[in-house]
Amino acid sequence: MAYRTNLMLCTCTMCVSVGALKIKRKIEEEIKRHNLEDEIQIIPVGSSWLCTRGPTLIVQPDDVVYQFLKEDDIPHLVEEHLLKGRPVKSLMYIHPETLHPIEKLHQIPFYRQQRLITLRNRGMIDPDKIEECIARDGYKALAKVLKSMTPEEVIQEIKDSGLRGRGGAGFPTGRKWEVCRAVKGSPKYVVCNADEGDPGAFMDRSIIEADPHAVLEGMAIGAYAIGASEGYIYIRIEYPLAIKRLERAILEARDYGLLGENILGAGFSFEAHVFKGAGAFVCGEETSLLASIESKPPEPRTRPPYPAQSGLWEKPTNINNVETWANVAAIINQGAKWFSEIGTETSKGTKVFSLAGNINNAGLVEVPMGITLREMVYDIGGGIPNGKKFKAVQIGGPSGGVVPDSLLDLPIDYERLQEAGAIMGSGGMVVVDEDTCMVDFAKYFLIFTNDESCGKCTSCREGSAAMLEILTRITEGKGEEGDIEFLEELGEAVKEASQCGLGQTLSNPVLSALMHFRDEFEAHIKYKKCPAFVCKDLITYSIDPDKCTGCGLCLKQCPADAITGKLKKPHQIDDSNCIKCGVCRDSCKAKAVILKDRFDK
Amino acid sequence: MEEKIRGSVLVVGGGIAGIQAALDLADSGFKVYLAEKGPSIGGVMAQLDKTFPTNDCAMCILAPKLVSTGRHPNIKLITNAEIEELTGKAGNFTVSVKKNPRYVDESKCTGCGLCVENCPVRKAIYPVEKVEVKLGPQDLERMKKIITEYKNKEGALLPALHDINIGYSYLPENILRYISEELDLPLSLVYQIATFYNAFSLKPKGKYTINVCMGTACYVKGGNRIVESFERALGIKVGNTTEDLMFGLETISCFGCCGQAPVVVVNEDLYGHFRATKVPQLIKSYSETPKKAGMEVGNAEVKG
Ligand SMILES: Cc1cc2nc3c(=O)[nH]c(=O)nc-3n(C[C@H](O)[C@H](O)[C@H](O)COP(=O)(O)O)c2cc1C
Ligand code: FES
Repeated sequence: MAYRTNLMLCTCTMCVSVGALKIKRKIEEEIKRHNLEDEIQIIPVGSSWLCTRGPTLIVQPDDVVYQFLKEDDIPHLVEEHLLKGRPVKSLMYIHPETLHPIEKLHQIPFYRQQRLITLRNRGMIDPDKIEECIARDGYKALAKVLKSMTPEEVIQEIKDSGLRGRGGAGFPTGRKWEVCRAVKGSPKYVVCNADEGDPGAFMDRSIIEADPHAVLEGMAIGAYAIGASEGYIYIRIEYPLAIKRLERAILEARDYGLLGENILGAGFSFEAHVFKGAGAFVCGEETSLLASIESKPPEPRTRPPYPAQSGLWEKPTNINNVETWANVAAIINQGAKWFSEIGTETSKGTKVFSLAGNINNAGLVEVPMGITLREMVYDIGGGIPNGKKFKAVQIGGPSGGVVPDSLLDLPIDYERLQEAGAIMGSGGMVVVDEDTCMVDFAKYFLIFTNDESCGKCTSCREGSAAMLEILTRITEGKGEEGDIEFLEELGEAVKEASQCGLGQTLSNPVLSALMHFRDEFEAHIKYKKCPAFVCKDLITYSIDPDKCTGCGLCLKQCPADAITGKLKKPHQIDDSNCIKCGVCRDSCKAKAVILKDRFDK
Repeated sequence: MEEKIRGSVLVVGGGIAGIQAALDLADSGFKVYLAEKGPSIGGVMAQLDKTFPTNDCAMCILAPKLVSTGRHPNIKLITNAEIEELTGKAGNFTVSVKKNPRYVDESKCTGCGLCVENCPVRKAIYPVEKVEVKLGPQDLERMKKIITEYKNKEGALLPALHDINIGYSYLPENILRYISEELDLPLSLVYQIATFYNAFSLKPKGKYTINVCMGTACYVKGGNRIVESFERALGIKVGNTTEDLMFGLETISCFGCCGQAPVVVVNEDLYGHFRATKVPQLIKSYSETPKKAGMEVGNAEVKG
């Protein structure tokens, strides 16, 4: 049956959390009430749009997009737009500068600059219905490969495309496959790394939630190319919805004969299994991940032998990231040449980034390689909210680093980012504004890596602890002359002496912060000042008597009874009781709570 | 004037105390026999991560001593050995030592550990006392399913722990002992895996587990202040459970919902754009109404 209108309702984890399913039920009710069931259908899609503005709804073919939907909006929306054909302006995206509502999805700046390859089915299909995926060329590449290409041709195509691993290191995918194909041994395995341990990153979850079949198809093609017949998808347990969609996708693909024995009658068999991780960052490292699947203690081991030589159950294993796999089918369908024309000299194709932090349009972004960070932050991201000043972008999570304002015109490319002290990583991009203290931020990452270090190498285990101790001292105002130099020395030592990527990169956040924001470290050490007013031991809270209206809200909220004052009279904060929780500052409507340096030197 | 040192000393027990005694004696010129019941010296310290009170790495202190003991010309190691009889008096003892066979040529063994890994009869080296694990009928029923699914399968431990965790919402000790027996896996391995991952807890959890995201995006938007607010409001530190077993407080590094940062998750309800000032309200809403779990509940009540 053909429908007049399709309602693409985003049902990713984030939108569900803000009530997308309630909205869905309400729309269904309303459609029924107006007897429109035969004309309009709701399609639950994954990861469709600006993730901060959920629940979102896209009306096709009108290309109209609605944001921040509430149940009460629905009757009006259905009646106005779907019945009378008058789009509802009040629910649309408002342009941050012109303040005009923007009606069409593709006119929104956030969307305009994106180029969708990995996320080709984003917001277009119901991820739980394989038919919709097939209608949009899903599994066409697999059929093409099985019917008309030899494994060697497939590998050549991937090599020609210039596709590099999207999991962090950027190793050329075609070469990896080639090595694995050449190694003797059977059976062979393919593994999809969906552990996504980087805090502040959600690309892999979104790809799976939007289009699980893209990953499965890529894995099947890869398995054919290297001669494997079994695959594992290692996914973190924190992603229940993605796990559910993936498991369902596997069942459906099996029903359609697109997975399992003798796929499409071509004599090639491939089985995929979902394996659930249990929350350990180090399990994203490939050797540790394989040990985890074997239920061994998930500690990384030295390479070589590489997984391609001796991987899962000591058999040749090819491991790639979710996004890498999701690119494969597109390359086969449209050709290596097409793919290699996108991007820069060394980095081909597109990259999915999860843009988050202090930014107006947080969300999932797929852009061609080579786009500048400035375009990412200002054009796509829409700048910094609340009129704050931009400070830095953190790229690559705990293995990456910060890129300051002065380097914003850097094109995104594996090599260029590395030169700036950051890494491409898996694509987590967290924007921080002037209210973030770079010392504290560096400390944050060390707390993380210190906690997640598996403890095997002394340099990583003890080195992260020692660096953390120094940073903690600095944030407490007890920093000493020479701390910075010692941090740098220690950071380099840990880099060199550790066995796996976790240890080899854990000092990056500190070193890059030292490279670009050395003055902030010096302010903490020499003048005992925190320029961003974050480090508690270096600041005091007080109330500006001229601004305070005496509403008493802060007094009520203060958990430490540190605020005194009479109603309608300016209040005061008693510094000796104040625990610097900041609740008063959050609750003050008059913005009367101010931060000052504790030590005026 | 130096007195001539004569005679030899037997040190019984090759733990850190025995090793240090042997080294000190040997350095002062005595011939030392170091007898140890187990197949190797090192004792308990070799199994420790850190030592009290300095938190020094245990192995870093011990390892050089092990090497010097092994190489010291004045020390003779007698491992796999037990003292059978001791006669004589101070200055002139006669000891008879029973040395158990090792079945390995000590001069050739490099200690690579491969044979241990591949030995089909595990636990043979350190026979542990068998602890009888008794489970109630309900537990047995639950475990039967898990055991039949995973017995004799490779790589079954982690999935099995997941299943147990779903059933109990933590990993009870007797259950871990039980599956160690039934799946024929060393208990040490079961514990190692169970304690490695953040998703597992060995302590019972509260009725509601409050997970505060401390991922990067949530951190820069004030995640740590939310944690502190919860700590104050509940009177517990992160990683603990309130006495009435109502609330457990934990942090997690990223739910993958960074667009909604800062994020708090209570059981399966996710609250985006959370603020520290909402903490009391959230706790109250769970203490009062028995709520239906499930993502759908959303943050209708508390979102502000
Ligand atoms: C500490 C650490 C964590 C990692 N975490 C991930 C991860 O979460 N996801 C991922 O795809 N790769 C991760 N990697 C990279 C993998 O080891 C591996 O390089 C990657 O999965 C290879 O896939 P690719 O060639 O497609 O990039 C991590 C590496 C290290 C050292
Ligand atoms: S950082 Fe909190 S959800 Fe990702």
